[in-house]
Amino acid sequence: MFILRIWNYFCGYAIIIVKGIKIERFINLAVINGIYLWDIQKIDYTTIKAKINLKDFSKLRSIVRKTDSNIKVMEKRGVPFRMKAMEKRKWFFFGLGALFIFLYIMSSYVWMIEINGLKHADEQAIIDNLNAEGLRIGVRKKNIDKREIENQMLIKVPDLTWIGLEIKGTKAFVTVVEKRPEPQFISREDPCNIIASKNGVIEKILILNGDGMVKDGDTVKKGQVLVSGAIIRDNLADRYVHSMAEVHARTWYEDVEEIPYEQIEYKKTGKTFNTYAIEIIKQKFERNKKVHFEDYNKSNKEIYILSFGSYVFPVKLVVTNYEELKPVTKILNETEAKTQCEKRLNVRINLQIPKEAVILDKKIDYFINDKSIIGKIYVEVLENIGVKDRMN
Amino acid sequence: MNSKSYKIKEKISDAFELPKDITLDIPKITILGADSATVENHKGVMSYSDNQIIINTGCGILIISGQNLAIKSIIQEEIIIIGKISNVSF
Repeated sequence: MFILRIWNYFCGYAIIIVKGIKIERFINLAVINGIYLWDIQKIDYTTIKAKINLKDFSKLRSIVRKTDSNIKVMEKRGVPFRMKAMEKRKWFFFGLGALFIFLYIMSSYVWMIEINGLKHADEQAIIDNLNAEGLRIGVRKKNIDKREIENQMLIKVPDLTWIGLEIKGTKAFVTVVEKRPEPQFISREDPCNIIASKNGVIEKILILNGDGMVKDGDTVKKGQVLVSGAIIRDNLADRYVHSMAEVHARTWYEDVEEIPYEQIEYKKTGKTFNTYAIEIIKQKFERNKKVHFEDYNKSNKEIYILSFGSYVFPVKLVVTNYEELKPVTKILNETEAKTQCEKRLNVRINLQIPKEAVILDKKIDYFINDKSIIGKIYVEVLENIGVKDRMN
Repeated sequence: MNSKSYKIKEKISDAFELPKDITLDIPKITILGADSATVENHKGVMSYSDNQIIINTGCGILIISGQNLAIKSIIQEEIIIIGKISNVSF
């Protein structure tokens, strides 16, 4: 029955009101003539309400004449009538269809490449190589041979150990694993020297293996051999050993910073304005708007308008935000300049000193002139400067 | 009903265990609870109102009475009546 209802809905049906004295005869005649009536309701003594198929409606005419009844169509329902209503809005549906077709076609291209796992390698170089291998923005997904590109990339970019390509929606996800620099490993059997990694004065040298070339208190230069692996004695054969030693030395770090008394600071005035541009693929459409701020901060924000989950289409809205800045001249006194200088020097020097080093002494000298203050920092630290070096 | 041909037909269908509603052209009435009744093999609606529907059948006039009766669907072989049925009689 339910199937029949759906069928009727697709064929279209009408709700009719039949008025006549011989209403039962009307129903019987309809049934005999093969007209399907359903949901028959008696409204009053001479009136019924019923539903009838669209194609049966014309057959009713002869029955109506025979039974002297009156038919009124109350409502038309079903797909054929819906279609008529839709016809008035056909351009809307046409546009909707066109949009879906357009999106379908667009979704078979790659519109975005995302590279994950990069640490040190040059992203641009990888993108260039990917482009050369055939994975570029605007290429058909079907034409991408993932395995081939992966293999070629590994050959072309030596920094990579592994590369994985995955295409999801209109995005291509490239996951890379970079090669870590191979540790300079010298096997215990191989003879080696220990050399100085920095200039310094030896504080303490503790030799486990090898011949010491320097003593405590010696000044050494970078690259100088501290412990030699070659043991040469007068009446013995030459021996080459894997030298091991702890070499603690005093080393120095220094840095200079100049702080002028007169400083220009840029402060935000709170005035901002936005310019908008639309970028389709790489074509930018923008209205030229003059920036009437003298000094400003510029920041870009890109919004992908057409993005459905992993289906991102190359239509971008670029919002450029300008923030007005006002220069404020600030004059520092000597103590303020000194504290600022010290702060900056400390930050910079800490980046140079290795973490394991012990700071023995720290000294900041200030040289004051008319316009600025110059701070010079010296830091003396104790650190291990011995580095193993393979013997030739 | 009591004609000779009817009796012969009845005997044959008894002998061959054929369903009588087909061979004898008598109605098969199915009542589902008190909400719907299906009459197969009817011979047309004689009278139709909210509380009484009279149907002509092969073995006489069938009167279904109740409240809010409506014909859900009607085709040549069967008629489905819905509504609150209180009485079915020949």
